[in-house]
Amino acid sequence: MSDKIAETSLFDRDTVYVSDATSRADVFKSVAEDLYKKGHVTKDFLKNLNEREDKYPTGIDLSVVSPEYPNVAIPHTEAEFVKERKVVPIKLKNPISFNNMIDPSQEFEVSFLFMILNNDPEGQSNVLAQIMDFINKTPQNQLLTFFKSTSADAIYSFLQSKF
Amino acid sequence: MIKMLTACGAGVNSSHQIKDAVEAEMKKRGYQVSVEAIQIKDLNPETMKGVQIFLPINKPDLSFDVTVPEIDAGAILYRMPAMAAPVYDKIEDTIKKNHLS
Repeated sequence: MSDKIAETSLFDRDTVYVSDATSRADVFKSVAEDLYKKGHVTKDFLKNLNEREDKYPTGIDLSVVSPEYPNVAIPHTEAEFVKERKVVPIKLKNPISFNNMIDPSQEFEVSFLFMILNNDPEGQSNVLAQIMDFINKTPQNQLLTFFKSTSADAIYSFLQSKF
Repeated sequence: MIKMLTACGAGVNSSHQIKDAVEAEMKKRGYQVSVEAIQIKDLNPETMKGVQIFLPINKPDLSFDVTVPEIDAGAILYRMPAMAAPVYDKIEDTIKKNHLS
């Protein structure tokens, strides 16, 4: 029971986004401004988020998991720019170009972001590992439906029950 | 204790995942391994001191020569056994070949 609560608390309904943005800069700006307004990140979060993504991209090529999956990215900053441990899901209605985390010379389109807020790198469970486990263990048809959803409510409740 | 080092952009997520995974798997294979996770910007000859295997994640462009074996560890991030196993095998081979302890 307590495990379940600890896991689900990584998500908040009011920080699930469905974005119409057509560029990385725009989606980062609108989400970061809202996260700042809600007190989850510091003022310099957006600047650090952009700088880091330029230098150390976070795109994850999911075609190696399943050729049918869209690619995702896990933008994040250094711990000092965030105030808690949280995953911020962002559905991109328009796929946006990101570079590959494990091979930055590769570029591909991404349609879902798991923005990671992590103020505690030494913490018990690794947030990125939990995201990958969620992707690997969720049945393919369910995950495909999830990735296509443009309802923040549906995205939130799926993550609450499956993550 | 065999000392390894890994690094990612923020030093928060990827590098810590590699650290946890490599330490756990190598323990299972019977090796005493300690992996340090740092930010790429902190990589320099000083932080590399004493490191026996370097585990880069994202093909970083470094301004100095790495003089110890380097094994690309990015595939471990997928948390899929089939993708991670070749990386662990390479680490084990390197330990054996160089008689690291």
